[in-house]
Amino acid sequence: MDIMLTETLEDVSVSSGMQTELPVIHIGMATCGLASGARGLLELIKKEVEKRQLNVRIVPTGCIGMCHNEPLVDVTMPGKYRVSYKNVKPMTLNQIFESHFGKNEFAKKYAICQIPLAGAQPYEGLPLMEEMPFFKGQVKIVTKRCGMIDPLSIEDYIAMDGYKALRKALTSMTPEEVVQEVTKSGLRGRGGGGFPTGLKWSLTQKSPGPEKYVVCNADEGDPGAFMDRSVLEGDPHAVLEGMIIAAYAVGGAKKGYIYCRAEYPLAIRHLRKAIEDARSRSFLGNNILGTDLCFDLEIKEGAGAYVCGEETALLASIMGERGMPWPKPPFPAQKGVWGKPSVINNVETLGNIGHIILNGGDWYASYGSEKTKGTKTFALTGSIKNSGLIEVPAGTPLREIIFSIGGGMVEKKIPFKAAQLGGPSGGCIPVDGLDTPVDFENVVAAGAIMGSGGIVVMDEAACIVDTAKFFLKFTQDESCGECTPCRVGSKIMLDILTRITEGKGQEGDLDELVRLSMYVKSNSLCGLGGAAPNPVLSTIRYFREEYEAHIRDKRCPGTVCNDLIKYVVIEEDCTTCGLCEPVCPSGSVTWEKGEVAHIDLTTCIRCKACVDACKFRAII
Amino acid sequence: MAETKHAEVTYEDIEEICEEFANREGAVVQILQKVQEKYGYVPADAIEFVGEVLEIPKSKMYGVLTFYSQFYQEPRGKFVLKICVGTACHVRGAGLLVDKVKEELHIEPGENTEDMLFTLEPVACLGSCALAPMAMVQGTAYAKLSADKMVSLIRQFEEEAVKQEEPV
Repeated sequence: MDIMLTETLEDVSVSSGMQTELPVIHIGMATCGLASGARGLLELIKKEVEKRQLNVRIVPTGCIGMCHNEPLVDVTMPGKYRVSYKNVKPMTLNQIFESHFGKNEFAKKYAICQIPLAGAQPYEGLPLMEEMPFFKGQVKIVTKRCGMIDPLSIEDYIAMDGYKALRKALTSMTPEEVVQEVTKSGLRGRGGGGFPTGLKWSLTQKSPGPEKYVVCNADEGDPGAFMDRSVLEGDPHAVLEGMIIAAYAVGGAKKGYIYCRAEYPLAIRHLRKAIEDARSRSFLGNNILGTDLCFDLEIKEGAGAYVCGEETALLASIMGERGMPWPKPPFPAQKGVWGKPSVINNVETLGNIGHIILNGGDWYASYGSEKTKGTKTFALTGSIKNSGLIEVPAGTPLREIIFSIGGGMVEKKIPFKAAQLGGPSGGCIPVDGLDTPVDFENVVAAGAIMGSGGIVVMDEAACIVDTAKFFLKFTQDESCGECTPCRVGSKIMLDILTRITEGKGQEGDLDELVRLSMYVKSNSLCGLGGAAPNPVLSTIRYFREEYEAHIRDKRCPGTVCNDLIKYVVIEEDCTTCGLCEPVCPSGSVTWEKGEVAHIDLTTCIRCKACVDACKFRAII
Repeated sequence: MAETKHAEVTYEDIEEICEEFANREGAVVQILQKVQEKYGYVPADAIEFVGEVLEIPKSKMYGVLTFYSQFYQEPRGKFVLKICVGTACHVRGAGLLVDKVKEELHIEPGENTEDMLFTLEPVACLGSCALAPMAMVQGTAYAKLSADKMVSLIRQFEEEAVKQEEPV
């Protein structure tokens, strides 16, 4: 079976990671690319190739992380570096083709960077990818292949060291040595739990009985997070490889499940294809790579329940039950799917495994901070310039993530207010906390959690109370109802927050919120309830004045809470330009040439159109 | 909300679906997903039949069905407007999109238009936060929306529906 793999490797003469003989056109076709018009663009590229009678390879790829620049098209000419073009429109396509295939240069006007390829030559006057501010601070391990390869091609994956780790583990390591290597790497659960992966594996390995399971948690439910989606869409085989290695390490699991949320149709499609291809190459199925290992995978689609991201709820859902968590112990490592020992890991955790086995645990542990080794992916979104997917060494300061990699705020004139980390279980970090190193321990000390990796950046135009309400409404909706602290406690807290945003807040509301928070936190059955009050607690901690403005002054400083908004024109700032008058749908803005505009609050519907129209921020 | 016409479900059809999953009780979520794929929702008769085939009490069937937000007990419109109201979309004005659809189509979240063309379904997060605010309709993602863009999307779908109905 060894021979087969070598043959496969030789088969791959054209690959995405290496230099090629044919010109290659890569087009970003993950969800963000598709939503930005990549499908139409692909058709146009095909037409153009036909029209010019070119012999090229067109490769759809996953997400390279620069979602704000989609659709992305890369052109690689033989012997040259790969050139990336951003926000490609049908009109610019022609010039890109003309430059590369007509003049043998690159289209200066639209290119953003070039990606080095071994043995190839760079272009002059175009920055390298790693020199760009967005990529400079990044270290790509788990997202290394995302956006570089065709995720639907197992050959591409193999050409970039794919399934090499599996072969190494199966042919030269014992299951104990595999677990040891993972333990040495210091890898901790990337779904947010932070439990040491090596320990989890070793517990499952030591659990008695021949029947064991490997489960991949791909139920990425945190709003504001899409790291797992990007990995599944862009490099599905890496997750498979991680699972197969896990199956070997825990003592020969025969069956694995990937539980993926149904909101990710593309990820599921890519996984299906990957599983099929892996089977046909003997990476899955009976006697994998000629060894005794027999392991196969099944995809379980979620049906819309956030709590199923909690591991025991997920296991219940796999078994066809209501997705309700059970109290631990027993831990899944002792009693998981169908009552058998099961190891359950998140997508990103599994995506790291291959790299760790191949390069060694010490190598992985050389990245990151003292207690959080390696890298972490983050979905960077909100009011930030470069939104997208990034991967940085754990412990990178929040300031660097937001201002160097993220490029700062999207609206230059509206300053940073807070970063929300960890979704509904996390919290907000204010300006003072920008130097927090982002790893498991430090973020918790700052009042949030690193979580699965969602970072939503908010500027001064956002309302903190509204944000806390947003998250609590989410957890309240998603509370499975099993335990009372979570079911009822979150409801009462939401009622109080709603009251505050409607201008009906009372003195003592904040104390009551804190008291309830502590109660819900300490008495809930699972992590969902245990973390639900975090967004409230962290915002009260850092933004008490803003809550008080809502309660005492009936004022929303971010002008978000409709019932508290009273738009007024600041006379000193108004340039009497009149831009605000025609945009008002209710006719509440009156303006005469040369006069300061006026807003009639009795008819104003608070649609904010005049605020957006005013270029001088004279309406607040 | 309009009077809805329910699909006709036969015991044999359901039996066939259950057999596909070897009548395993553990596959009940997948079976219901298959049922929904076939009928567009999970008709009451179908729940009863699945319960009978797999010998699962009705209470438990409904327990599973109502637990997951993606099972629907009523038929749904041709175009389900899944508007993302996740964090990133929320801070970038997803609420305005939902309000606009409500105003334009006179439906509340979860409801269908009378002509069964549209259903409004705000969803928690579609995982395309960099494109906020966004929506997904019939599996296609629409990025960086505004209230106006939402209205033109609705018009576009209406035209599409008319075109499909016209005799060729």
